[in-house]
Formats: sequence, C-alpha cells, structure tokens
Amino acid sequence: MEPIHSYTDKKSYIDQIDPISKLLFAFVSIFITYLFSSIPITCFVLLISIVLLMVGRVLRKIVPLLAISFTLLLSIIIVQGLTHPTNEMPLLTLGTIVFYQEGLTFALLITLRVFNMLAAFGVLILTTKPDDLMESLMKQGMSPKISYVFLSVFQLIPQMRATLGKITDAQRSRGMETEGSLMIRIKAFFPLLGPAVLSSLNMTKERAIALEVRGFSSKGKKTFISEEKSYFYPKFVRCGLIILLIAAIVWRIVG
Amino acid sequence: MSKIRVEGLKYRYPDMDSLVLDDLSFEVEKGAFIGIVGENTAGKSTLCYALTGLVPHFFKGAYGGNVLIDNIDVKQSEISDVTSKAGLVFDQPFSQMTGSKTTVYEEIAFGLENSGVEREEMRIRIDNSLRLMDIEHLQNKNPYDLSGGQMQRVAIASVLAMKPDVIVLDEPTSQLDPQGSDEVFQVIAKLAESGITIIMAEHKLEKLAEYASKILLLHKGKQIAYGSPKEVFSRDDILEYGIAPPVYVRIAKALKLKNKAGFYPITLDGLKQQWNVGDE
Repeated sequence: MEPIHSYTDKKSYIDQIDPISKLLFAFVSIFITYLFSSIPITCFVLLISIVLLMVGRVLRKIVPLLAISFTLLLSIIIVQGLTHPTNEMPLLTLGTIVFYQEGLTFALLITLRVFNMLAAFGVLILTTKPDDLMESLMKQGMSPKISYVFLSVFQLIPQMRATLGKITDAQRSRGMETEGSLMIRIKAFFPLLGPAVLSSLNMTKERAIALEVRGFSSKGKKTFISEEKSYFYPKFVRCGLIILLIAAIVWRIVG
Repeated sequence: MSKIRVEGLKYRYPDMDSLVLDDLSFEVEKGAFIGIVGENTAGKSTLCYALTGLVPHFFKGAYGGNVLIDNIDVKQSEISDVTSKAGLVFDQPFSQMTGSKTTVYEEIAFGLENSGVEREEMRIRIDNSLRLMDIEHLQNKNPYDLSGGQMQRVAIASVLAMKPDVIVLDEPTSQLDPQGSDEVFQVIAKLAESGITIIMAEHKLEKLAEYASKILLLHKGKQIAYGSPKEVFSRDDILEYGIAPPVYVRIAKALKLKNKAGFYPITLDGLKQQWNVGDE
C-alpha cells in the first residue's frame, strides 16, 4: 500500500524554515494573487511557490494534486469560456460552440490562483513535520483543538486518497472497470465517492475517540517530547513576508 | 475491593429508541482478565465506551446507573481523569494513530504530552512500553508505514505508556491475522499477570477461553451471564444468544464429556484430561 503521510524529512533548506513563516508565506502568496487580478503577477507568485517546492524536493508530490484539480477546473474553463458576461472576442470555434477570449482569460486566472493556492500550502504541508506545525500553532496561542483541526484538514487529502485507493481495489475485485479511457475512469470515479466520504467520516469519529482517550481534552499544561527546534532566522523571514505584503497593498492602492 | 463496579448501567444513544445497555451490574477484581462476548449489536462496544468514560462524556444520550473505577464515579469525573485510569484500544488500528506524529516513538508520546508528563519521565515510559510490546525496532518508523498488527501494538503501547490501571480493548484482533492475534493475546495476558485489569470485547472465543478469567455474556444490551469461561460456555442456551461456543466445548458436548461440576472443558488440554478421566 502506498504510504499516506504527506511529510518526509528531505533535509532541504525549506525544511529549515519555521512552520509559522511557511504558513504566513501561504497566506501572503494567496492574498497577492487576489489583490492583483493579473495573470503575469499570479504566474510570478506561482513560480515562486513552484521554486520553493523544487528546493524542498517535493514538487513531484504536488503534481498529482494539480492534475486532479485541473480536471475539476475544466468545467470552470468551459463555462467561463462560453458564458462569461464580458465575452466579446471569439477565440476558438468548435462547430457551433464558440469560446471567447475574455471568459477564457478569466478562467485562466482562476486556474492559476487555485494552482498557487495548492502549491503554497504544499510548501507548508509537504516540508513541515505535522507535529512541529501543531506545536508552533499552539505556542502562538492557538488552542490544541483548533491546531489539530487545522492540521487534519491537510491530512485529509492523503488519507482520502488512501481510502479511495482501498475502495477502488475492492470495487475492482468485484468486477468494476476502473482503468482505461477517461470516460471509463469518470464513470468509475463517482460511485466511489460516496463510500469514500462515508468511510472518511467514520474514521474521523474513531480518531476523535482515539484522541479523547489519550487525554487530548486535558485542560492541564501540555509538554512536548521533541526538543525545541532552531529554525532559519524566523523573525527575519516573517518580517520579510510582512514587508512584502504591505508593499503589495501599497502598490495596489497607489499604482 | 473491586477495581471496577458497574451498578444498574443503562444507556441509550441520542438517535435511538431502545436501550443499548440495559441494567448491567457486575464487579471486576484488580488484575482480572474479563472477556465480553455477544453477537453484533449486543452492546459490547458501548460497554467499552462506558467503562472508559466516553459514554456519557463523548457520546451523549440517556444514561442511568453507575460505573465506578476505584470507587470514583466515571459520570462525575472529567474524561481525561477517567482515561488516565482506564485506557481504550479499539478494533481499527489505522484510526488510532493521531496523524500528527511521524515516528512510532512520538506517537506513543502523544498521550503523555497531553497529560503534561515531563520529558525524562516520558522517555522512560515510552521505552518501557516499546519493550513490553516488543516493538523497539519500529520506534523510528512512520506509524502509517506499519502493518495492521504492528499498528495495533503501537496503539496498545500508547495506552500502556499512560500507565492505566485498567485497559479496555474493543475487538483488538479483528483486523489481524492469526499470528498477529496470538501475539496480541500473549502480550495482554502478560499485562494481566502484571496486575493490570483487562477487559476485552472479542469474537475469538477460543482465545478468550484460554486467557480470560471471567466472561460477560451480553445479548441485546442485557446481561445474560457473568462467570468463569467454563460456566458461561457450558450453558445449554448459549446458541440462542448468537454465540457458537469454542470448538473444544462443542467437541466435548458431542462426546458428552462434562466434569463433576457439570461444565465442559474449554481448551485442548482440558478436553484431553476430561477424555482420560472418561476412559478411566
């Protein structure tokens, strides 16, 4: 079975950056793509996230996720290309169907933003030990429960992938076709979603019980088994990101 | 003095009409190994939750009666206080992993961190648990890279590290192969010998017959019997409660090999002995 955990220590430069700085990077990077509705700027920000993923040696891990999101984004591209309110200039004609430049440009911006969102959070999740992230959030004053929920959201994707894999294997053994053309894969995908979601919900309930019996709700002071890590100039990195954010806002207002 | 006292325990889940536990009363001595048996929906898992305080603290609903551990009422205590006395291991090894830890060593530390145990003490307890469960060689592995059996041992080690007086296990071997099941039973029997009270809901009756000191038979939430494995598995009406008695009991029944007290042998050795007595 494929391992379901998202983090492995690659001992890269990105692993040396503290979790809060990486979280801040994810927010700043996403915020900038929404602050400027510009394809070149969004491309540039996405490029930075991709470079960071490359430096962190985790770019390959994010590719399947980008591919899955692209299949979902296809519907947005089609709808916007056909029906965006500002559509004027035809760009592509397929028989009687006309795709317009304005709609496709808008869809491209959305796609780039989603890709950047995934890549930026990928930098955080794929290069940060989950425990370190949780510990850092708790040290920033976040409650353990909220820190865990925050962490779980990101754990959910690899876990659901693993669950989906198991259910696919089970359905395949009962004769369902899951390999072949895109159509066959799409047909097989939707019946798997129900059991995958139900199974994940059940697992979440069981995990909540497991946490409860291991004192997660304990109101006393918590301790940590790991020694405190020293990161690469955390204050310097965070200040840099905040300055970048302020500069972007000022540029947007003034420019 | 009893370690656990259950008095007239009744419980109904919020979205259900009927009682899942209906007037259960029994006592468990320190260091005993109690097996809970019954068909599906008998109430075994719910009883495990009630013994660890999850019912009524985590699962709400209608609750009546008392569960006392060391004379302390579970209902009146904080759940974290109850779980420090009574740990729970359940059937799915995968769901028992926290998802926030990347090594087995850290996984075992999770409960201790929550309880605020100092780092040095944590290390001692983790090392002991690893040794007891014979998983020292796995300590640096990612919990999600382990097999089901290994994961289950990590789950038990995590509970053990909390130093509970009672360990409640809800079908801990249901996902394991025969060898994995054997290993888990052997470790648990060892824990019972060391003075930890064990309560285990289980369908593998041959194993319970071998290791348990007492059996609690449940049916539709009601307590049908509570006694020695020989006593419970020798009942003539046991099939009516959806329980196929251990294979040696069935053989002994077919051969009409009862002992003087009127019970059938429950193990192979017991069967052989009874056979020889019968011969004489």
